[in-house]
Amino acid sequence: MNWRAELVAIWAFAIRNLVMASRNVFFFFELLFWPIVGVVSIGLMSRFLALGREATAFVLLGTIALSVVQVCQLEVAYAVMFDVWSKSIKHQFLAPIGVRHLTLGSWIVGMMRGVTIFAILSVLGWWAFGVSVLAPGLVALLGFLAGCFLTAWIIGVGVCALITIFGNRAEAFAWASANMVLLLAGIYYPISVLPAPVAAVAAWIPLTHFLDAYRAHYGFTSEFAHPLAIGFALAAAYAVLAHAALVAAVRHARGSGLLLKMSE
Amino acid sequence: MRRMLPFDPMLAIDARDVAKTFRAGWIRRRDTIALRGVSLAVPRGAIVGVLGPNGAGKTTLLSIFATLLTPDRGTVTILGHDLVRDAAALRRRLNMASGRPSFLWSLRVAEIIAFYGRLYGLSGATLQHRVDELIETFELTAYRRAQYNELSTGLKQRLALAKALVNEPELLFLDEPTLGLDPDVSVRVRAHIVALRRERGMTIVLTTHYMREAEELCDQIAFIKGGLILAQGTADDLKRQIGLGDVIALRVEPPPAWLRTAPGVVRCVENDGWVECTVDDAEKRLPELLRQLYAEGRTVRNVQVKTPALEEVFVELAR
Repeated sequence: MNWRAELVAIWAFAIRNLVMASRNVFFFFELLFWPIVGVVSIGLMSRFLALGREATAFVLLGTIALSVVQVCQLEVAYAVMFDVWSKSIKHQFLAPIGVRHLTLGSWIVGMMRGVTIFAILSVLGWWAFGVSVLAPGLVALLGFLAGCFLTAWIIGVGVCALITIFGNRAEAFAWASANMVLLLAGIYYPISVLPAPVAAVAAWIPLTHFLDAYRAHYGFTSEFAHPLAIGFALAAAYAVLAHAALVAAVRHARGSGLLLKMSE
Repeated sequence: MRRMLPFDPMLAIDARDVAKTFRAGWIRRRDTIALRGVSLAVPRGAIVGVLGPNGAGKTTLLSIFATLLTPDRGTVTILGHDLVRDAAALRRRLNMASGRPSFLWSLRVAEIIAFYGRLYGLSGATLQHRVDELIETFELTAYRRAQYNELSTGLKQRLALAKALVNEPELLFLDEPTLGLDPDVSVRVRAHIVALRRERGMTIVLTTHYMREAEELCDQIAFIKGGLILAQGTADDLKRQIGLGDVIALRVEPPPAWLRTAPGVVRCVENDGWVECTVDDAEKRLPELLRQLYAEGRTVRNVQVKTPALEEVFVELAR
């Protein structure tokens, strides 16, 4: 394995996604508009409901985490979606690259956008609603963000796999998948309020554990024994599965001719 | 265990019994047989044209060779690599351009070439030099900073060719490279293709619907129809194989009756003062006919020899 060529190929996708984002008007909405609207509206609702400082921190943390995951996973999904939209997907699979190059390159840009959003929303949450997202400290914060980005990568790669198997019809998953997380991962409420079978499903989502661990720093009782360890273990397992699914999907697309069909 | 077939090192492509069927539908399955057992040998450094009517399997065959499609059956050895097992290594040595190019709409010309260059491991000064060189070669300097969606069809085609050369491939696949281009642009694209073989010794396999283009560019032509190669060889070989014959048109009055039964003459038709005789080989039969006509003291006012165009071969084979 030539490490230099590996890094150059990953960098190729990072640069491509950055350039595409910089020339896309929707980039503004994805990066700023919707996340800010989300935090402001949830913050105002918490004020209207006269929630205490801890409860406000609880829901705002969930909102910020969702925004970070959503933006980052969308960027990873763009790894395949840009090429499907432009009908140029065959060109990248004609080159001597693996799916790791496109997903990791896009993920780098996704993390950059995620960190930017996190910073903006953290300042907004502190300034408008008095919630200090940075209070748990740097180590806890890095663990939390790493968990959010891993979750985003898994969802994004899963979306890429679905698009590679089902074509353009699966695009809706790119936007819908993060909302499934919203419902299950305890974004606005602890998963203990969910019906038992649904809560059991929620326990299999890594983000549930990362949120649980971070919220524990605000005094909320943790619902899991070792949330960070479980979260990272689950994320690692899903990452391997998602990568294998995308590799298999590309192989299937080469066999079925979908790779060519998506380029016509 | 996979049976290893002997590979001729003089061949760039050695394909044997390649078959491909596309399957569609989850409940009601529909099978479309694209290739039924194609065998094709492409010598290194040759330009080989794959011709055939729409839906014949040309693009499917090229896509299999370019590793974009996996065959259901058969063996393909390309540049010494097994197509399926060594696909990753093979991809470094080949590239492809399509007559219907499509790239990311808001990337600029130089960015598109650079992006694909990086996928082949190029970086830094090497990448910059390659991008500059290709932009210059394909006369894209004035459009270097133009976004893809601002380019004309001809410019897009030239960009596609430039992108296809970014890794300096040994084997290049061109799928209808002059499709929809103005005649002057087509001439320039064809000149580029000829130069690639002459200057870089590149092996080129192309598909085209333009018979003149195939005759002008290709050392060998394979005619494919219904997923099978029906004929293969040089343009002249194909004309001979099909047996269309040459036409000798004579202006001689009155035409002698024996012309119709002369050796090598298939048929004769009188047309506007001319008698047009279809013969097996004009080069051989014309001197014989003229000798006999002069011996009889007949005056031959004019003579024309027409060899069948590749287009006629195409029509005959596609029938």
